[in-house]
Amino acid sequence: MAATLELDDIQGLFARGYGTLRAASFVLARIDDPTAARAWLTALADEVATAERGDRSEAVHVALTSTGLGHLGLPEGSLAGFPDEFTGGMTTDHRRRILGDVGESAPERWRWGGPTNPVDALLLLYATDQAGLNALADRHAGPSGLRAAGLAEVQRLDTAPLAGTEPFGFHDGISQPLIAELGPPDQPGPPLHTVRAGEFVLGYQNQYGQVAESPTVAAADDPGQLLPRTPDPALADLGRNGSYLVLRQLAQDVDGFWRFVDQAIRSDGQADPDAGTRLAAKMVGRWPNGTPLTLSPQHPADDLADANDFAYADADAAGQGCPLGAHIRRANPRDALDPDTGPDQSLRSANRHRLLRRGRAYGDPSDPGERGIHFICLNANIARQFEFVQHTWLNNPKFAGLYDDTDPLVATHQGDAGRTFTVQAHPFRQRVTGLPAFVTVKGGAYFFLPGIRALRFLARLPAAPDKDPSRRTP
Amino acid sequence: MPHQVALMIRAPIKPGRAGALKRLLTEMADPAGGRTIPFERLGTTHFARLFVLDEVDGGPDGGPPIPASLVYMSDVDAPVWRHLAALVRVGGAQLDDLFAHCEGWPSGSASAWARIAWLRARRIRADVVYVNTVGRSVAQVHGERRLRQAIEEFLDGKQPEWRGGDPVQIHAAVRRFVAGRPDLRWALEPARGPGLVFRVRSTFHKIGGPVLVLLLSPLLLVLLPVWAVLLRRHERRDVPDEPIPPSRERLHELADLEDHVVQNPFTAVGVAKPGRFRFLTMLAVLRAVNYATRHIFNHGSLTRVRTIHFARWVAIDDRRRLIFASSYDGSLESYMDEFIDKVAWGLNAVFSNGVGYPRTRWLVLDGANDERAFKAFLRNRQLPTQVWYSAYDDLSTVNIENNAAIRAGLTGAGAPTRSQAEAWLARL
Repeated sequence: MAATLELDDIQGLFARGYGTLRAASFVLARIDDPTAARAWLTALADEVATAERGDRSEAVHVALTSTGLGHLGLPEGSLAGFPDEFTGGMTTDHRRRILGDVGESAPERWRWGGPTNPVDALLLLYATDQAGLNALADRHAGPSGLRAAGLAEVQRLDTAPLAGTEPFGFHDGISQPLIAELGPPDQPGPPLHTVRAGEFVLGYQNQYGQVAESPTVAAADDPGQLLPRTPDPALADLGRNGSYLVLRQLAQDVDGFWRFVDQAIRSDGQADPDAGTRLAAKMVGRWPNGTPLTLSPQHPADDLADANDFAYADADAAGQGCPLGAHIRRANPRDALDPDTGPDQSLRSANRHRLLRRGRAYGDPSDPGERGIHFICLNANIARQFEFVQHTWLNNPKFAGLYDDTDPLVATHQGDAGRTFTVQAHPFRQRVTGLPAFVTVKGGAYFFLPGIRALRFLARLPAAPDKDPSRRTP
Repeated sequence: MPHQVALMIRAPIKPGRAGALKRLLTEMADPAGGRTIPFERLGTTHFARLFVLDEVDGGPDGGPPIPASLVYMSDVDAPVWRHLAALVRVGGAQLDDLFAHCEGWPSGSASAWARIAWLRARRIRADVVYVNTVGRSVAQVHGERRLRQAIEEFLDGKQPEWRGGDPVQIHAAVRRFVAGRPDLRWALEPARGPGLVFRVRSTFHKIGGPVLVLLLSPLLLVLLPVWAVLLRRHERRDVPDEPIPPSRERLHELADLEDHVVQNPFTAVGVAKPGRFRFLTMLAVLRAVNYATRHIFNHGSLTRVRTIHFARWVAIDDRRRLIFASSYDGSLESYMDEFIDKVAWGLNAVFSNGVGYPRTRWLVLDGANDERAFKAFLRNRQLPTQVWYSAYDDLSTVNIENNAAIRAGLTGAGAPTRSQAEAWLARL
């Protein structure tokens, strides 16, 4: 059963990454005045871009953390219907272990989202250029506007103009899942990348053929019938057409990365920029221009810069092209997840852990200041998707039968463990040891990106629900 | 080399002492606290765990109440008596602290023999034991880890020099390196399998199972249709749990103990469905699974799930409850996903005899394929594994197998072919 997506109720970030809206800014805020915030949300719900149409010159999106939903007045019982990883947040002891947020990347050191600087709301602003973005930001997130909205800015995340290259210098954002329901109905997409909508938005079938669990509210709490009803008429579906948005600010040590690569290849003290680029490409799994090493192991190719139609099991099982522990192979092992079960089952398993990436780079290459990426992804199940990829694939020293390798690009390992990178080669591997962490987490949080009707419902929540028992009686 | 044995000791806790015992277990789990049992000094313990089975009043199935009990489980190299003797010798003080909370522990001046006898008297045998690779001792795992590390470091030193070299010659050079190291020279001999007695018994068991089935086949052929009809009737009447995960407090209590190293323990206890039909079905399924784990899945994988080091099913309380315990690689999320992807049918066959399991058809269909319901079912039956020990918590099953293959590649008499040498070097 291919359900039709309710595109007019889904925030547009699900359907598109806004390649033509090159300027973006993300505003993280605390809710100080719930009444004013609800009024603000009422107006904003009309302006939020839906997934329906794409030809926009600007777009606004809004997402809320668990604490944000609570401050708006969502009853405790409804909050309990959200999964534990969302309500518990990114900073519990267990999540730190799962995500590798320790040492330099520990939440205590974060600029936002940590124990001392939590956030409630996220406003995502997109425009075609900086001037348009400035105007949009003035309208939605100027100092007086925020104050009137009952919000206090915790952090404003500016981004670099979209250029398709991340700060280490690699062509980025090439591989994305294709959403089956968004393609032409008579023409199934390529199995390598086609994933069902329910993996990214609640209310639709996922890769297990199931509809993910969705938070609900008592139907009595929704007298205006803003929300769709569940099969149980006493409950209204708050989650439908919503998604979980993961945002993490990842500072990248660009100089440190290239310095390390340069040192690692000096076998006899001689610098060798070509060998350095080759090692960096091995770490990523693509050449800087985007060419996959599996398709072209010796050199980059112009016509392969955006190539994504490749798999590992037949072409590169042993990792002689793209190393087994390279970043892109960890982030999506495609059909080589499990040699025992064969490529088809591997692909089926791997596609149960896909992420819709919507991140943007920040920082200026001509400026010595911090650079990095505001990593954003959408998923319907944080534990099975984002956290799984982070823990079982990227940070896992045992990935693909390795011993002590973690993601050479983005792992935030501390101590001595996980600092090896193995380049499978003939006649035997090259082992690079002592890798430092090139990425430091500077902030992060799990958000809920509600559907439009859910936004309107949240905007109309009555004040302080748990202190006002009268509203429970019909 | 000895085979591995699944040891389990279960002792009822004195009334009112379960809380104090749990606090003690928490202390014993903290390596900084100085109260941990020094399992590593026993030398033959692969994994060990201690947990409390809470009291059940009235019985989960309307049967008599079940008092709280302390469970000690370990996967050890045979013989068991040697493990117990060493445990009492090396960890005597900690055992006294622990079992003082249980009924009848011979403390104080009682002899080591009395303590060993007490433990043996409380031993419970598992219905199904899965061992990733039968006959691979702790000593072998540790030795082969050292071997690989030494070879890797040796190759690191040759990295630029041997680039473009001949695989056969490089293999020969590594073999010379190992032969020249008195502490590694043992690796040139093949690993010895389990002892003769074990192998003879195993062979009888291997043949005996099918023979028995063959002898009973006329009877089974008659019974099978009847059983199938009854099964479907039971399955339609089953009441699956709502797919709701445990409370946040419980989830956090469980999660606090998880993902500290690359391996994790899993311990769960479920209630068997009442009635003779389910009782017999479960018994038959466990027998069949045990046969399969002993004779088919005894080297490297359990129906393609490679990540389990050890696992067991143990029926307790007159088969009213069933414990499942395992030590595995990776996170619980990945473990459960792998189960669903690869052995949903096998889990269905066993667990569908437990109350609340997601609805099955014909014993093996559906069930675990309901991802949400299956994960909630397991999480709701999971117990905090308060004390857990691994003799090699830095090694995955795949690592251990690869280390053994590295060693095996050195033991042949003649030189390998070029492709053999290439395949061997790819293991490094």
